[in-house]
Amino acid sequence: MPTTFFGWIQLLLDKYGSLFLQGAGTTMLIAVVGTVLGFAIGLLVAILRTIPLKPAAPALQRGLIKGLKILLAAYIEVFRGTPMIVQAMVVYYGALQYLQLDIPALGAAFLVVSVNTGAYMAEIVRGGILSVDKGQKEAAIAIGLTHWQGMTSVILPQAIRSILPAVANEFVVNIKDSSVLNVISVTEVYFMSKSAAGTYLKYFEVFFITAVIYFILTFTATRLLRLLEKKLSGRDSYTVYGSQSDHAAHITYAREEAP
Amino acid sequence: MKQETGPIIEIQGLKKNFGPNRVLMGIDLAVPRGQVACLIGPSGSGKSTLLRCINLLETSDEGRVLFKGQDITQIPPGPLHAKIGMVFQQFNLFGNLSALENCVLGQVKVLGRSRAQSEETARKYLERVGMLPYRDARPEQLSGGQKQRAAIARALSMDPEVLLFDEPTSALDPEMVDEVLSVIRTLKDGGLTMLIVTHEMAFARDAADRVVFMDEGLLVEDGPPASLFTHPQNPRTQAFLSRSLRG
Repeated sequence: MPTTFFGWIQLLLDKYGSLFLQGAGTTMLIAVVGTVLGFAIGLLVAILRTIPLKPAAPALQRGLIKGLKILLAAYIEVFRGTPMIVQAMVVYYGALQYLQLDIPALGAAFLVVSVNTGAYMAEIVRGGILSVDKGQKEAAIAIGLTHWQGMTSVILPQAIRSILPAVANEFVVNIKDSSVLNVISVTEVYFMSKSAAGTYLKYFEVFFITAVIYFILTFTATRLLRLLEKKLSGRDSYTVYGSQSDHAAHITYAREEAP
Repeated sequence: MKQETGPIIEIQGLKKNFGPNRVLMGIDLAVPRGQVACLIGPSGSGKSTLLRCINLLETSDEGRVLFKGQDITQIPPGPLHAKIGMVFQQFNLFGNLSALENCVLGQVKVLGRSRAQSEETARKYLERVGMLPYRDARPEQLSGGQKQRAAIARALSMDPEVLLFDEPTSALDPEMVDEVLSVIRTLKDGGLTMLIVTHEMAFARDAADRVVFMDEGLLVEDGPPASLFTHPQNPRTQAFLSRSLRG
C-alpha cells in the first residue's frame, strides 16, 4: 500500500482511471442533453407565456390561454423552488411505485435535468425577450406576422444573442449539479468516485481527483462556449453605410480586438 | 364584404383611454381610396394613438374601424392585417435581418409568396426608395434616413392598400428629413391611400389632399390644406398653426 498522497493518487488512477473517465462521460452527456432540451423547453415556455391576451378575443380562448399561463408559471415556480436532488427522488421513485414505470436511471436523469433546466431557461429567455425593443414586436404585428412567427423570426433570434452568456452558465451549472443524481444511482462521476472511495476508504484522495476532473470539464466548457459566443455575436468588422450625424458618411471600421 | 365605392377606411365613434387618460374621445373619420391625409396637432392630442388603433396595435375601448366596409377590430394577425401597412417613427427594422430580408420575411410568412417572387418584389421596392445598393446591409449599418427608406420598402412589399405613417421624420436629423419626404411624395403619385401623422407643416401643405387637425382627443378641423392653412376656422387650429408656422 502506498504511504504518500501522490502514491495513492497514482494507485487510484491506475485502478479506477477508466471508471473516472466513464463517469465523466456520463456527466457530460447529462449536462449536454439536459441543457439542450432545457433550452428548447425554455424557448417554448417563453413563447407561450408571452401570447398577448386580447380583450376582444372569445371568452373560451382567453380562458384557455390564461389557464395555460397559470400552469406554466406553476411549473417554473415548483421546479425552481425545490432542489434537483429531491426532484430526482420524487420522479424516479414516484414513477416506480405509482406508475409501475421502471425508468432507467439515465433516462430519469435526462428528464429531471431537462425539466429543471427548462424552468430556469424559461425565465432567462423571458428576460431576453424583454430586452428586445418593443418596436420589433410592433413591426412584426404591423406586417401581419402571428405571435409565433414574430417570435421565431424576429424576437428570439435577437433575444438569444443577449442571453447566450446566461445559457452557457446554465450548462456549467449542469455539469456540476448533475452530481446530485447519484441518489438515483446514475453512474456519473460523483457516483463513480463514491464507489472508488469506499474500497480503500481514501475519501480525500479520491475526491481530490474528482474535483480536478470537474474543474477540467467546466473550464474547457467555459472556454469553448466563449468561442461560440464570439462567433455568434456577429462579424468582427463591418461597413457603416451611413450615419445619423454625418450625412455623407461612408465609413469602414473594424471593431477592436478584445484582449 | 367588398365595397369599392365607399371609403377605404372608416372610423366610427372611436374612444380610447389609457387608465384615467382619455386619449381619444370619439373620433369619426372616413378616408376615400387614394387620398393622402395628414394628421396634425400638438403632442398628446391622440394622433399616434388613432393610427395605432387603425392598425390594431392598440385595442380601442369603444367604436369601430372599418376597412372597405368590414369591421377589422376583431381580426387576428394575417394577410388582411397586412393590407394596412405602418411606418414607424423609430423605423423598427428587424435588427437581425438585412434590408432585403426585412422586405422578404412578411411576404413569405404572411402572403405565402415564393422566395424568388418575394425577393423580386423586395428588390423592386428597395430600388424605388433608393436602397437597392444597401440591400445586404443590416439596420445597425444604416443611417436614420436609410433605415426609414428601407422600412417604407418593407411596408410596400406587402402590397398594402393603406399606408400609415407615424411621424416618419421626427427621429431624423434635419438633413435626412427631405430624403424620406421625397420618397413619400413619389408614393402619392402611385395612388396609394396614406394617413400621415406629421409635424412637417410645409410637407402637409403641399403633399396632402386633406389636413386633419386634432387636439385633446378630438378632430377639431378638417379640410383641404389650402383653406386649412390659410383660413383656419377654429381658434385652437389658429393658435396651433401660428405657433408651428412661425419658425
